[in-house]
This record gives sequence, C-alpha cells and structure tokens, in this order.
Amino acid sequence: MKGNNMASIKRTALRLLVWFVLLCGAATMVLPFFWMVSTSLKFSNLVYTIPPKWIPDPLNWSNWKNVWKVSNLLTGIRNSSIISATVLVFATLTSSMAAFAFAKLYVPLKKVLFSILLSTMMIPLVVLLVPQFVLFSRLKWIDTLLPMIIPASLCNINMIFFLRQYLTGLPNDLMDAAKIDGASYLRIYGQIYLPLMKTAIIANTILLFMNTWNDYMGPLIFTHSQERQTVQVAIAMMNSHYLQQTDIPMVMTASLIAVLPVLLLFILAQKHFVDSFALTGIKG
Amino acid sequence: MKRREGAAGLLFLAPTIIYFVVFFALPLLISVYASFTNWNILSPKRSVVGLRNYQKLLADPKFWIALKNTFYMLIPIPIYLILGLLFAYACHKKIPWERLFRVLYYLPYISSIVALTIIWKWLFNTEFGLVNYALSSLGFAKHDWLNDPMWTKRMIVIMISWKFIGIISIYYLAVLKSVPAVYYEAAKIDGASGTQQFFKITLPLITPTTFYLAVVGLIGSLQTFIEVQLFAPDGGREYGVATIVYYIWQKAFQSSQMGYACATAMLFGLFILILTLIQLSVSRWWVYEGE
Repeated sequence: MKGNNMASIKRTALRLLVWFVLLCGAATMVLPFFWMVSTSLKFSNLVYTIPPKWIPDPLNWSNWKNVWKVSNLLTGIRNSSIISATVLVFATLTSSMAAFAFAKLYVPLKKVLFSILLSTMMIPLVVLLVPQFVLFSRLKWIDTLLPMIIPASLCNINMIFFLRQYLTGLPNDLMDAAKIDGASYLRIYGQIYLPLMKTAIIANTILLFMNTWNDYMGPLIFTHSQERQTVQVAIAMMNSHYLQQTDIPMVMTASLIAVLPVLLLFILAQKHFVDSFALTGIKG
Repeated sequence: MKRREGAAGLLFLAPTIIYFVVFFALPLLISVYASFTNWNILSPKRSVVGLRNYQKLLADPKFWIALKNTFYMLIPIPIYLILGLLFAYACHKKIPWERLFRVLYYLPYISSIVALTIIWKWLFNTEFGLVNYALSSLGFAKHDWLNDPMWTKRMIVIMISWKFIGIISIYYLAVLKSVPAVYYEAAKIDGASGTQQFFKITLPLITPTTFYLAVVGLIGSLQTFIEVQLFAPDGGREYGVATIVYYIWQKAFQSSQMGYACATAMLFGLFILILTLIQLSVSRWWVYEGE
C-alpha cells in the first residue's frame, strides 16, 4: 500500500513537471506575439525604454490608424486578397475536376498521367525558379500578379492527390445511376460528386489560403513595383531598413494586421484547420 | 461510349495537363539546356559552353560555404521531430489545459515567416531587444546577434524548430490516437513499465510518420531561402548565412547569370533527388510496416 502511494506521488510530481515544461513552452509561443501587440501600442519614443514595459503607458492607438496612410499595407492587402481569392476559387475547381477524372472516369493513359504528376512532387522547386522567371518575362507577366495566380490556379497537386483518394473511397453506383438517367459528365461532377467533396475541399482550401497569403518568395522574385506588392512584401519592405531608423511600433502594427486574416480563420475554423494539416502534407 | 468518357476525362484534366506542360516540363527542359550555356539575361548573345558552368561552380569557394550552411539548416529537423513528439505524447496523456496549449503551439506556424522574422529581429536587437535586456540583467554581456553569421544561423535554426513543434505534434497525435489500447493493456499485464511501453510499442508504430516528416522536412530544409534573405539580405558577413538557394537566387536575379544559376539548380536538385531516393531505400531498415 505504501509503495503504491509513493508511486502515485511520483507520478503526480512527474505530471506536474511535464505540465510546467509545457507551460514554459507555451509562454515562448505567445510572448513574442504579446510583445508585438504591446510594441504596436507604444509611442515610438517609448519603444526603447530600459527596462522594457510589457503594458504600454500611455496607450497609443494612433499606429493602428496611421499605418494605412504611411505604408503600402492597403495595396498589399488588396493584391494578396486578389491572388488568394482567385487561386482559392480556381484551384478548387481545377483540382476537384482533375481528381474526379482520376478517380471516376475512364481516361486513356490515366495511370501514367497520375504517376507523372506524382513524380513532380519529387522534383525540388528550386530547379524551376530561374526558367519560370524567364518564361514569365517572355509572357510579359513580370511585375503583374499573374505569376502568383495562373500556375497555382491551374493545378494544386496536393489537393488533386488528396481529393482523388477521397473520391476513390466513394461508391460508383451514383455515377452509374446518373449515366443511365442520361446526365452529362459535367452534371455528374457538379451535382453529385462536388457536393460530396465539400468537407475535404474545406480542409484543403484553408491550408491553401494560409500558404498563398503567407507566400513571400513568389512576389519577391516576380514583382518589383510598389503597386504590385503583396502584403508580405509590403511589411518586409517596411522592416528592410536599419531597425533604428524604422518606426518600430508601425512595423509591428503592420505585421499584426498581416497575420490577422489567417489567425481569425484559425480561431473560427480550428477543427477544420487541424484536420487540414493532419490530412494533407505540410509545405514550406 | 468509352470514347466520349475518355474525351470528357481529358477535358476535366486539361488545366492540370496545361500546368504540367507549360509551367513544369517546359521550364525543366529550359533549365537543363540553359545549364550548359553562358546565358546572361542582360546580353542577347548566348552560346553553349558545355560543362564550364559546372566546373566554375565547383571551383567557387562561395558555393562550398553555401553548401555547408545549407546542411546547417537540417539541424531543426531532429529538434522539432523530438519536441513535437513529446508534446503530442503529453497531449495524448490528457494534460490539464491541453486544448489551450495546442492552440498556442500552433500560433507560430500559421504566422508568416516575414512577420516571425520581424518579431525575432526585434527581440534580438542589440541595444533594445528583450533578449539582450534579459542577459544584461542577469549579468551577461550584450551580444550583437544579428551581425554575427554564426548566431544568425543559430537563430534561424531555433526559429524554425520553434515554429514547427506544434504542427509536427498534430501528425504524431493523430497516430498516437490510432494505436489500439489493447497493445498497451497487454504490455501492462506483462509488466512493462511506461518507459518500456513507449520504446517498444509507441516508437515503432510512429516510424512511418517520422519517415514521412523527415523526408518532407529534408526537401524543405535543403531549400531554405526566405529566412536567409530576411535575416541577412547580403548573405551575412563572409557569406556566413547564405544557403544554396540563396546562392542561386543571387546569381540569377542580382547578377543575371541565368545559365550559371540553372547549372547550380540542376546540380543541387539532382543532389536532393538522390538524397530522397537514398532515404526511401534505407527506410525499410527502420520503418515499421505493420503485420
């Protein structure tokens, strides 16, 4: 009995220790963001006080108002929204169509096509960077939003792979019945299988939105003028000068605003978010 | 009937095929060809130079420095895999505040690298950063983190490890939840301790996930670029932070040596591909494949 008691005390102590370690870990996850919020609410002359103040005094809300005027953030948000919205709509459409064909239709050389597509995932993207740039400059797409929109809208291999897997699991009876009724393939896709894919599509689009909104490399390489900056480029530019010369509270405010859309989506659709990671691959 | 279905199928696949031909196969072919030319986007003349780009590349000390730095960027992989697993294990054992912890641990992953770098740089600012403040109040000397390539690299390693712990734990948690409870009950009856259960049951069962995460992590980490570009836009003192992708980016887009950049990309791409294939082939020695 006594030994049992000791063991349970030891176990409780261990659990407490683990919990404490996790708490410290959680603090490292949150404190940088908290520090960001705090800095964004400071007057710029109070940013450099030693010791640092966690709660700004006095509170200064003006950054949240002025950031729109002094930075390129609004243009960035507009461009990123255009890119994200277009890519989301069209990538979902094209990828679900491709997945439908791969899973449910007879297509000549289907297996070969699918393995070629899968093997593209093995090729490191760095190989394509330079020739894609050249291709885009031939097409006169450099310094437009098209390099971020068109390829991503035509095909999302992750999504095709995932949706195909999902559709393969669904019975073929629906398809056969619809065929007998004389429904066209477009209708079979749009009215039967597309609604069935809804949850799987939501999980994928959340991940896609996050990756598109947070993308920095594409716009960095393929655009250069102010009017074409995406939100990530806009905030990176604000910070690119020497720190001492930049308005730190303003940069923090802009960064927070840039993080906000994905954060809100995360809070609203937390379960879908977690599913989207667990079900699809990670990128970047 | 079959012909109609085939035609419809090809129509459904048309966007994917267009993407593959125009934005994948074509650039890949251009890249292979360009790697054997002295193509510079500023001059219209272009001639085939054979293997000269590759020779020049292997003789460039900067390339070797960048390669070494690229390998340095693999350090986060074991760190986030182990910490992610431990975190998942703790969540699986129903620790208090588990849900809250999980949300907080995902926070860095959903934020953009640009925003993370901005906070990170501010935290490590020499004069006014929180880190130096904490160090100096503990009696240590302040350090100029951002101008020291060694520390910039370490900072990137820490940042990436920190960023990925939460997301890695999602994968592990999903597997841990799928392990039948019978396994553990049987082990308990046989008198296996908690540690034994972890090493003999849990660890083998999660090897497929670990393998998948390691492969994806390797391909991603070998192509580290954005972090370098944001932390040290000039590659750092003595090129101390630059990675291979940074090197390629610099050659192609700052000195317009497209042919040379393609050669570097081809060589490095091939290297990653071979590494991935090696990983696949050694996997059967340690990845558990089930009954």
